[in-house]
Amino acid sequence: MVTEEKRQEILEKLKNAVIQYDEDTSKEASKEALEVGLEPNDAIFSGLVSGMEEVGRLFEAQEYFVPELLMCADALYAGLDILKPHVKQLDLGVKGSVVIGTVEGDVHDIGKNIVKMMFDVAGFTVYDLGRDVPLDKFVEEQMKTDSDLVCLSAMMTTTMVGMKKVIEDLKAKNPNVKIMIGGAPVSQDIAEKWGADGYAKDANNALKDAINMISSLKKLKEEAEAKKGS
Amino acid sequence: MSDITPKQRVLRLFAGERTDRPPCFSGMGNVTTEGLKKFGYKFAALHSNAKMMSDAAASTYKLFGFECGVVPFDLCVEAEALGCEINVYAHLEDILYPTIKKKLIHTEDEMDIRIPSDLAVRGRIPLIKETIGLIKADIGNEVAVGTYVLGPFTLAGQIMELNDLLKLSFKKPDKIGKLLDMLAAAIIIVAKEYEKAGADYITVREMGATSDVLSPRVFKNLILPYLKKIFAELKTNTVLHICGKTNDIAVSMVESGARAISVDQKNDVAETRKKIGNDSLLFGNYDPYNVLVSGTPEKVRETIRKCMDDGVSAVWPGCDIWPTVPPENINAMMDEVKKYRR
Ligand code: B12
Repeated sequence: MVTEEKRQEILEKLKNAVIQYDEDTSKEASKEALEVGLEPNDAIFSGLVSGMEEVGRLFEAQEYFVPELLMCADALYAGLDILKPHVKQLDLGVKGSVVIGTVEGDVHDIGKNIVKMMFDVAGFTVYDLGRDVPLDKFVEEQMKTDSDLVCLSAMMTTTMVGMKKVIEDLKAKNPNVKIMIGGAPVSQDIAEKWGADGYAKDANNALKDAINMISSLKKLKEEAEAKKGS
Repeated sequence: MSDITPKQRVLRLFAGERTDRPPCFSGMGNVTTEGLKKFGYKFAALHSNAKMMSDAAASTYKLFGFECGVVPFDLCVEAEALGCEINVYAHLEDILYPTIKKKLIHTEDEMDIRIPSDLAVRGRIPLIKETIGLIKADIGNEVAVGTYVLGPFTLAGQIMELNDLLKLSFKKPDKIGKLLDMLAAAIIIVAKEYEKAGADYITVREMGATSDVLSPRVFKNLILPYLKKIFAELKTNTVLHICGKTNDIAVSMVESGARAISVDQKNDVAETRKKIGNDSLLFGNYDPYNVLVSGTPEKVRETIRKCMDDGVSAVWPGCDIWPTVPPENINAMMDEVKKYRR
C-alpha cells in the first residue's frame, strides 16, 4: 500500500505535468504511479484530470490560450495512455460512447476538439468524424457504433441549420439516441426548437450534461428491461 | 445633400482628411441573397466566374447604396494558388462558404515549402484581378473597390493543420517564424497583383490571430513582425482586420503599419479609441449576423449609432456580411449613417 505522502507527491507531479504541458514528466509520473501501486483511477482523476481542471480555469482567466490548452491535452493524453490499460472499470457512474463532429460546410474545429478532449478524459469512447462532415455521415456512424450520444458543432449561422436535418434524421432512425449541440451561434433556444436533447456553452458544461443524459438513458433502458423481465 | 461621391469620401478618409460623416463600407465579403436573386445566380457558382462575381459584388451598392464593391467571397484564394485543393460545395443549394479540402502540409517535416515562381498567375489570382477590373468599370467611379488577402498566420492555418500550427507556435517558434516569413512574401506578391488591378484598398484578414485563440504576447512576438513586412511593401490603402477579442492587441495592430485597423463587436471601441488616439483610423464594429441579419431595424439603428458615438472612423462590419441580410435592416443602417453628422 502506498503511503499518503507518496500518493500526494505523485498526484501533484501528474497535476503539474498537465498544467505545465510537460509530456515527459506526465509519462514518468504515470509509470511511477503504477510501480508504487497507486490506484490508476486515482492517478487519472485526482492527478491528470485535476490538472486539466486547473488548465480550464487558466483558460477562462485568459492566462492560457488555445495553444496552451492543446499542449496540456497532449501531456494529459501521454499519461492517460500509460494508465488506461490498467484501469479495470472507469468509475464515472456511466460508461458512454459518443460520435462528434463539425457539420458540413464548417471547418471551425478548435472548439469541437476541446469538447472532444473532455469526453476522452472522462473515459468515453469517442468517434471523432472531424470537420466539414457530410450530414448523413453522423447518422451512419451512430448506427454503426450504436453510440449513446451524438455531438454536433457549428460555428456559422449557415452551417448551423444543417444540425436541424441531422437531428431529424437521427431521431427518425433511432428515437433513443441523445443529441447535444454547441458552437458560438447555437443557443439553448435553438436546441429546444430543433429537438436536441442538450446544449452547452462550453466544454465543461458539455461533459456534465452528457453524463446526466447518458445516466438517464441507461436508467430508462434498465427500467424497460426490468419491465420486460417481470 | 453631400456633393461628394462615396468613393471620394473613402479616399479622403484614407488620406487623413476630414469627412462630413463616416463612410459605410467593408473590406470583406458583402454579397447578399437579394443581389443573387436579382441575377438568378447560385452562390457556389460565383467563385470561379469573373462576370458573376463582379455582378454580385456590385449589387450590394446598386440595391442598397452600400459604399464599396469587394471581392472575393471566400478565404481560399491564396491557399489554392499555393497548391491546396478547395471545395465550393457546387452540389448544394444552401450558401456554404468554400473551404480547403486538401492541405499542403500534413506533418512537421513537410513545412519546408517554396513559393511557386509563377504564383501571380496560379489558381484564381488572375480571375480576382479580372473581377476587380470589371467592378471598377461598373461602379468604380462612384464607390471604392476593395479586395482582401489573408494574414500570414491565418494563411498558415489554411495550408496546415491548425492544431499543429498552434502548438508549434509555442514549441518551435523559429520554425513557424520561417513559414510565416515565406507566406508573408507570398501575400505581398498576391497583394501587389491586386494593386496592379486597381484595388482602391486592400484588407489583410488575420482572424486566426484573435485573442480568442492566441495570446497577445504570441501575437506581438511571432506574428506582428511579418504583418509589418507586408504593410511596408504595399502602396495602396491598407486595413488590418482581426475579429474576436482584440482590445489587448489594438495598439500592436496600429503598429503593424496598416493605414487602418478593423475590429469586430467583441472590441470595446470607446476604449480602443482612447488607447490609439484620434489620428489612427479605426473601422468597425457592428455584428454582421446577430445585429444586421437577425436584429430589428431599430436594433440596427441603435447599434450603428453606438459605433459612431464610440468613435469608429468608418461604419464597417465585424466580418463578412451575412448574405441573408433583410433589406429593411441594411436600409436602416445606410439611413442612420447618412443622417449622422460629426
Ligand atoms: C479561428 C476562426 C476561423 C478559422 C478556423 C480554423 C479552425 N480550424 O477552426 C478560419 C480562418 C479557417 C475561419 C474561416 C471562416 N470563418 Co471564422 N472564425 C474564427 C474565430 C476567429 C474563432 C473561432 C474559435 O476557434 N474560437 C475559440 C473556441 C475555443 O471557441 P468555440 O469554437 O466557440 O468553442 C467553444 C464553445 O462554442 C463550445 N462548443 C463548440 N462546439 C461544441 C459542440 C458541442 C456539442 C457543445 C456542447 C459545445 C461546443 O465549447 C467550446 C469550448 O469551450 C471566430 C470568431 C470568434 N471569435 O468566435 C470566427 C467566425 C466563427 N468565423 C466566421 C466566418 C464568417 C468565417 C468564414 C465564412 C469567412 C469567409 N469569408 O470565408 C470562413 C468559413 C470557412 C468555413 N466554411 O468553415 C464568423 C461566423 C459568423 C456567423 N455567425 O455565422 C465568425 C463568428 C467571425 C465573426 N465575427 O463573424 N475562421
